[in-house]
Amino acid sequence: MRLEFCSKKSSNNHHQGRVLVHQRAGVQMPDHFDRLPNSVVLLIFNKLGDIKALGRCAAVSKRFNGLVPQVEEVVVKVDCVISGEDSAGGLGGRSRSIFGHLFRFVVGSIVKPLQALQQILGPKRVVLAEVSHHSPGEVLKNFKEIQNLRIELPGGELGIENGVLLRWKAEFGSTLESCVILGATSYFRGGGDKITGKEEDALCQDNHNHNRELSNSQDDSGSIPESFYTNGGLKLRVVWTISSLIAASARHYLLQQIISDHPTLQSLVLTDADGQGMLCMGKEQLREFRDKPLAASATANRTQVPALNMKLWYAPYLDLPAGAGMEGATLVAIRPSDRPIRKETEAFVAAAFDEPFGEAAKAMVKRRTYLLEMNSF
Amino acid sequence: MAEDPTAAMAKECKVRLKISDDTIFEVEYAVAMQSQMLKNALSDTGTDGTVPLHNISSEIMAKVVEYCAYHVNAANTISEKDVKIWDQEFLKDLDQATLFNLIMATQYMVIHNLQDLICQTVADRIKDKSAEEVREIFNIQNDLTPEEEEEIRHENQWAFEEEGWPEIQEEVRLEG
Repeated sequence: MRLEFCSKKSSNNHHQGRVLVHQRAGVQMPDHFDRLPNSVVLLIFNKLGDIKALGRCAAVSKRFNGLVPQVEEVVVKVDCVISGEDSAGGLGGRSRSIFGHLFRFVVGSIVKPLQALQQILGPKRVVLAEVSHHSPGEVLKNFKEIQNLRIELPGGELGIENGVLLRWKAEFGSTLESCVILGATSYFRGGGDKITGKEEDALCQDNHNHNRELSNSQDDSGSIPESFYTNGGLKLRVVWTISSLIAASARHYLLQQIISDHPTLQSLVLTDADGQGMLCMGKEQLREFRDKPLAASATANRTQVPALNMKLWYAPYLDLPAGAGMEGATLVAIRPSDRPIRKETEAFVAAAFDEPFGEAAKAMVKRRTYLLEMNSF
Repeated sequence: MAEDPTAAMAKECKVRLKISDDTIFEVEYAVAMQSQMLKNALSDTGTDGTVPLHNISSEIMAKVVEYCAYHVNAANTISEKDVKIWDQEFLKDLDQATLFNLIMATQYMVIHNLQDLICQTVADRIKDKSAEEVREIFNIQNDLTPEEEEEIRHENQWAFEEEGWPEIQEEVRLEG
């Protein structure tokens, strides 16, 4: 269940239970840290970032112990996310939360009506993020000077099928300020780097080439095909959008205590090891959060999502660098209805993702824009 | 129209640096400007004469100049990926004494990018080590009393739990 730091096992065995007596025959080796001023030792600690490593440094010497709490840049890698409820079937304690299981169920089957989503989310679920059985808040307790905090969940909450792509990036103050979502029914890398199983590859590549030829021969203005509305394509995109917003607002909700405990915070990022979702809060947004507490949603432990305006772009097929490609690519840019329109939508959307998805986003915003609205939930 | 004086200087001027054993290093103006300290020193006095850097040895100065000479041009002409590869090659096989000497030199000469690089390297050597290993690698004296150390380990137990990892895993399994 706790998956991090397995590499430490081998080096730890012979240290277990004893304090090494630190002595060398003959020449006494110099302690180079002695020569460094505190500001430089802090620079090294700030580069170290990982909170467990910092916690261990605090036990090295008096000086280190005094400096560790002054670190400004911290990264907390969460080992596991478990449900707070005892759940039947042993779902608790897995490395993916209950959320992940539910969404795997919903997103995989296209035909599920949207109402089912709300029903499934109805009962109260507590999602706890843990670092070796301690909450991130507890682990951060002694770090009073943190300015830049990054928390990394072990995986994305949204369980998706192999080959499907779903990524989101959201910014929050007290409430959602913006969200960009990129999804594709199929994403494959070029060359030897395949996502699906080996035997399927040859077949897949043939299919992709075939689809690429098809789409090239059709009108490629970015219009969503009529079939989209009937074959579940639109429903799937709506489910992607809602799932991403729920995941984002649940993460936002988790952060309340940490934000109030650390008034020195200037930037906060909550991401996951899969690179699926990234929640960001900057200096102004954190200030707003402290002044104006969030509104919790009625049903689940997450922040209320306000009424939204959305722009959607679609591409049946997208060529990416190095032979990679996407099918059924969908890009959604979301903002609350009551916020002014961002003038630089294109730049904002393109900057949301790392490569190669940044390139994909840039290509997609040039296509036909669809406008959607969503109620608060 | 006269050419921009700074650009002209950058092409032609050499800066003379006198180091600990009285050797003189001659470096191009643009390379020297990578050091904030030299930049300030030279803006007042000009490039005639020699800047004394008594606390830096020949070996360390050579490494600093090597790094700065590469990075003067790198920003505009070389891809980020290739710069990183060069940096790793630069760091290869540097022993601890050299690393820390470089940190002190960059601190004195105020060369942020090189200092960041070396500090990151030291941090990487600390990252996955236990407290005892850190002490051993860096020869740090443990001046904590056993009680003090125990208290810190208890306070930060989440950082140390892996050291008893096999046992704890058993407990978790029993609890289901």
